[in-house]
Amino acid sequence: METFYEVLRRQGITRRSFLKFCSLTATSLGLGSAFVPKIAHAMENKPRTPVLWLHGLECTCCSESFIRSAHPLAKDVVLSMISLDYDDTLMASAGHQAEAILEEIITKYKGNYILAVEGNPPLNQDGMSCIIGGRPFSEQLKHVAKDCKAIISWGSCASWGCVQAAKPNPTQATPVHKLITDKPIIKVPGCPPIAEVMTGVITYMLTFDRIPELDRQGRPKMFYSQRIHDKCYRRPHFDAGQFVEAFDDESARRGYCLYKVGCKGPTTYNACSTVQWNEGTSFPIKAGHGCIGCSEDGFWDKGSFYDRLTDIHQFGIEANADRIGATAAGVVGAAVVAHAAVSAIKRVTSKSDSAKADA
Amino acid sequence: MSATTSDKLADVTGIDPDAIEHGATIKSVYVYEAPVRLWHWINAFAIVVLAVTGYFIGSPPPTQPGEASANYLMGYIRFAHFAAGYIFAIGLAARIYWAFVGNHHGRELFTLPLFNAAYWKEVLTMLKWYAFIIARPSRYVGHNPLARLAMFLLYFVLSLFMIATGFALYGEGLQAESWADRSFGWVIPLLGQSQDVHTWHHLGMWVMICFVILHVYAAIREDIMGRQSVVSTMISGYRTFKD
Amino acid sequence: MGAYETQGFKLDDSGRRIVVDPVTRIEGHMRCEVNVDKNNVIRNAVSTGTMWRGLEVILKGRDPRDAWAFVERICGVCTGCHALASVRAVEDALGIRIPKNAHLIRELMAKTLQVHDHAVHFYHLHAMDWVDVLNALKADPKKTSELQQMVSPSHPLSSPGYFRDVQNRLQKFVDSGQLGPFMNGYWGSKAYVLPPEANLMAVTHYLEALDLQKEWVKIHTIFGGKNPHPNYLVGGVPCAINIDGDGAAGAPLNMERLNFVKARIDEIIEFNKNVYVPDVLAIGTIYKQAGWLYGGGLSALNVSDYGEYPKVNYDKNTDQLPGGAILNGNWDEILPVDPRDPEQVQEFVAHSWYKYADESKGLHPWDGVTEPNYKPEGPKFKGTRTKIEQVDESAKYSWIKSPRWRGHAMEVGPLSRYILAYVHATKGNKYCQRVKEQVDYSAKMINSGIPKALGLPETQYTLKQLLPTTIGRTLARALESQYCSEMMLDDWHELVANIKAGDRATANVERWDPSTWPKEAKGVGTVAAPRGMLGHWIKIKDGRIENYQCVVPTTWNGSPRDAKNQIGAFEASLMNTPLANPEQPVEILRTLHSFDPCLACSTHVMSEDGAELATVKVR
Ligand code: HEM
Ligand code: HEM
Ligand code: SF4
Ligand code: SF4
Ligand SMILES: [Fe+2]
Ligand SMILES: [Fe+2]
Repeated sequence: METFYEVLRRQGITRRSFLKFCSLTATSLGLGSAFVPKIAHAMENKPRTPVLWLHGLECTCCSESFIRSAHPLAKDVVLSMISLDYDDTLMASAGHQAEAILEEIITKYKGNYILAVEGNPPLNQDGMSCIIGGRPFSEQLKHVAKDCKAIISWGSCASWGCVQAAKPNPTQATPVHKLITDKPIIKVPGCPPIAEVMTGVITYMLTFDRIPELDRQGRPKMFYSQRIHDKCYRRPHFDAGQFVEAFDDESARRGYCLYKVGCKGPTTYNACSTVQWNEGTSFPIKAGHGCIGCSEDGFWDKGSFYDRLTDIHQFGIEANADRIGATAAGVVGAAVVAHAAVSAIKRVTSKSDSAKADA
Repeated sequence: MSATTSDKLADVTGIDPDAIEHGATIKSVYVYEAPVRLWHWINAFAIVVLAVTGYFIGSPPPTQPGEASANYLMGYIRFAHFAAGYIFAIGLAARIYWAFVGNHHGRELFTLPLFNAAYWKEVLTMLKWYAFIIARPSRYVGHNPLARLAMFLLYFVLSLFMIATGFALYGEGLQAESWADRSFGWVIPLLGQSQDVHTWHHLGMWVMICFVILHVYAAIREDIMGRQSVVSTMISGYRTFKD
Repeated sequence: MGAYETQGFKLDDSGRRIVVDPVTRIEGHMRCEVNVDKNNVIRNAVSTGTMWRGLEVILKGRDPRDAWAFVERICGVCTGCHALASVRAVEDALGIRIPKNAHLIRELMAKTLQVHDHAVHFYHLHAMDWVDVLNALKADPKKTSELQQMVSPSHPLSSPGYFRDVQNRLQKFVDSGQLGPFMNGYWGSKAYVLPPEANLMAVTHYLEALDLQKEWVKIHTIFGGKNPHPNYLVGGVPCAINIDGDGAAGAPLNMERLNFVKARIDEIIEFNKNVYVPDVLAIGTIYKQAGWLYGGGLSALNVSDYGEYPKVNYDKNTDQLPGGAILNGNWDEILPVDPRDPEQVQEFVAHSWYKYADESKGLHPWDGVTEPNYKPEGPKFKGTRTKIEQVDESAKYSWIKSPRWRGHAMEVGPLSRYILAYVHATKGNKYCQRVKEQVDYSAKMINSGIPKALGLPETQYTLKQLLPTTIGRTLARALESQYCSEMMLDDWHELVANIKAGDRATANVERWDPSTWPKEAKGVGTVAAPRGMLGHWIKIKDGRIENYQCVVPTTWNGSPRDAKNQIGAFEASLMNTPLANPEQPVEILRTLHSFDPCLACSTHVMSEDGAELATVKVR
């Protein structure tokens, strides 16, 4: 059995810095130095935490992203940090041999395994728009969730619903927290989430032995507390008022701000502009396309990805706030003018009436 | 104007038939105290700034030439918006304070006599007046009842909404755990996500613009056609009656 | 349904029924049922798509320029190919022609996906069907090193110490008692025939490929900002080019970015040459030697593709993987395939959980109807509505529709493309000669080169024996990966040359604004997706999507029976395969995986029985 410590050692980390790491851990946990040896001991000896990774309605982009992790390497996570005992995309076994694993882990590690969910359960068609082993996925999810320690909702599907939940959400795809309400749920949204964010969340949970601090909406603050816009390298151009007005214009070639071609960076909480994608190679804005807001709740239904102002689809009309507002203000203005005109006429006629009466 | 008269007059707000009767006998009343007037005009200015800068935040002006560091157009626009936003919000807070310490009319903006039949009757009267059905409205010392309805819903409630959504958005820039985030951050998940808050905040601007158009029109029209002074009331504080 | 014959296959459902659900190591959710005779040979096969998400309905009424992002999320494994098909369909409808740079960049992205998807499929999804992971512990690292140097003399990672390290790590892992993804595998099954050294080599490459694949996709990250799900743009690509002008350092594409891409291409070429192709040839040879030549199914009869990788954009005659259709194994004749012809591509739902007015007929995608009808039923159906124990293939049994080409069930995928390109090349097409070269070389290696080196008897398999098999399917994928890596280098040089010639354009935005669009338009976009021929059909009305239909590779391959009870490619490929141990479905998984099934792709079509969908009827 390879423990966390051994993994660190193998990755070239000395015992000295391992102990330093442990004492930092102790400090940040608010524990005294007396706890340092305890933490070190735990890390040196702890068996790998079983992770059961279920797939509902999804596109597997989260798994794909996960295996892109560079630090730590996905292989190190899978071979040495966790015990990925069930994951239908990667596991060797199939059919009832695969199903058997779930039962084994649930009983053997009751209350001590982590449930990772990629995708979400659909509730229409009695849940049978996602069938696992002849049964609705929602059943499998509830069954495995019952005895887990915590749930990680991978990606925007599990966290919010994502594309299959976009209007009119034909399968009634439902995010995990709406079905499972009695377990701590860590939402790691994004379509997909950044690889190093995914492994970062996992390694945090293993090293610090607790779930990361979550924001109001259940996302780890460590990666989701800032907007793309807050740390975007094109922000100086935004502040200066320098924008790409159309794709491939001179501004696009100079790397100006993509706000006017619909960048959702100002409303999107994610680590793209800091951690960046694929080992820090780039991120959407750096490659010239605006952020489409893929880690935000319901981002599919916020109008075109190329519009700054969201289209509103109410009352059968379809226009953005400015068009609706300007129309309303125009109507009010016209009504005022008309009313003023009628008032003026009335006033003149009533004056002449009273003048006549006086006469 | 002695204290006793103004005490009596305190009732003349369009909810008490007797008082409305009684109002008919007066010629001039001190309605809007100086702080209210001052506030009104500061507030009007702040809202104009907020609407203009807000519009440009949504649809920025054309790209600026030159080096980024030589320009700060969006920065200034946003700064003006936030500065005016603070003035607007603090102003409203001060105005609420004045509702407690100021005169009776100072309270009208913040309350609606929802369950008062006479009030609704007078609202109807005002509607008839504006629909040219009746020749003369009643006389009111404070806001006319219809104005009060509009003030409450389209101004006061809307302002709270604009402040809540505005500071929620502001809290995003101030970063998590900032005072604005802690006090107003809850608005964001409530309305969906940040983009929804932007949209609602933006729509709110247009509602506010509609209110201002109606309000300014009504004020000027009342001044000309109604039975009492209006525009000058917000300058001098005195409501004078023409007949 | 009893016993009957179709497409030359004798189906017989009288034997023992075996169910595999979930089929793992695929994208999405799938179920497979087979009947075996008393010798444990598969005599009837039934594949069921067990998920659907409804993207086509969700797309209705949306901005066509946004469609790529929605359909890209059909699948995160073949990420980008649906986006590409989508922007092509929209551009086709609106008459937009993209600049040359944009074309080359899209080519680079498409081929990056091809290479990545193929290699990850082989090593991480498919390898465990051939490779006994635990058996690798028995290998001698020194002999493994020799094997490695023999199959791939120029691969640098081949020292005995290297293999010993991997073996030690594996040993530790196994000793931990926590087998993780390898738990309950079919280790030790007779279905595995590789010697321990080959197993250790493959396990080592499993890890090597896992480390490397994340490097290759960085090409997507450069051009599209991220992977999975890079960004696309109607009219071109979003990454503007600025090589030496003001602000070049902050531009999406500059010299440094291009160099970065070049470095990745070089790595990809090396990996394909030194690892992927040699591994597949070696494993394939050993399995062939053991007499395992099953799984050909439909590929011996009907194959098709739309054609892809034009040397000159918009000129299909310059396709470097030319398309067409071959029927009944007649390699002398290639029939033209036209995605616009209402008589050619049609989808049937006779055995799918959908409803047509007349289910004996198929519908062309432009006129596609998607009305759900979830009803597990039939005289042999066992279970309840929410607990399926056994489906009945005489009734409706899958969420996948049945696409047919001129009424024929077709196999699609790298193998189909390679058969087509090989035949094209023998007929003198100069754009795909490399394919012929690769295929001939592989045949030589399998028949004599590798057997000689391993001290095994030489064989005389013809291409018609060699290619239409499970091994052939897996081999074609590897060869296609290699071919794509080589084409990428050409594309890169062409891109640089074009920029050098003064062309910086990356997007055509003349018709970006919907006010410039016709009131009504329809278009089609096709792509050689990693799993086969992919088509998206769009109808635009008043600037909005009126109808959107995708006919996806796994829909072709994984299709259930059609109105004439013809079986699909998955089902056909399982026929007549013996199982070493019916309790352990290794052979079933091996052949199904050789198609690289992608269920999210195939069954994104959706619906519910609610009111909303009543309005979603498409003419
Ligand atoms: C009558 C009052 C107000 C009006 C008419 C108004 C108008 C607007 C408009 C039209 C926008 C652009 C929304 C969009 O489409 O993104 C905006 C944004 C904003 N407003 Fe206001 N606003 C008002 C009050 C406030 C207040 C009180 C605050 C608090 C500080 C505030 C803070 C903001 C912030 C932070 C933004 C977002 C700026 C950005 O995205 O860069 N607003 N406002
Ligand atoms: C942004 C523009 C404006 C806003 C938001 C605004 C808002 C308000 C509010 C909230 C009140 C009620 C004060 C209270 O009860 O304490 C009020 C009263 C008043 N406003 Fe304005 N105002 C604006 C512009 C103007 C202008 C331009 C005029 C003059 C033409 C005007 C004339 C008045 C008058 C005369 C009253 C007193 C109404 C009465 O006597 O019942 N306002 N305004
Ligand atoms: S490109 Fe997007 S995230 Fe970056 S500064 Fe502009 S609006 Fe903000
Ligand atoms: S930049 Fe925006 S759309 Fe792109 S990956 Fe990040 S959050 Fe998603
Ligand atoms: Fe796919
Ligand atoms: Fe489809």
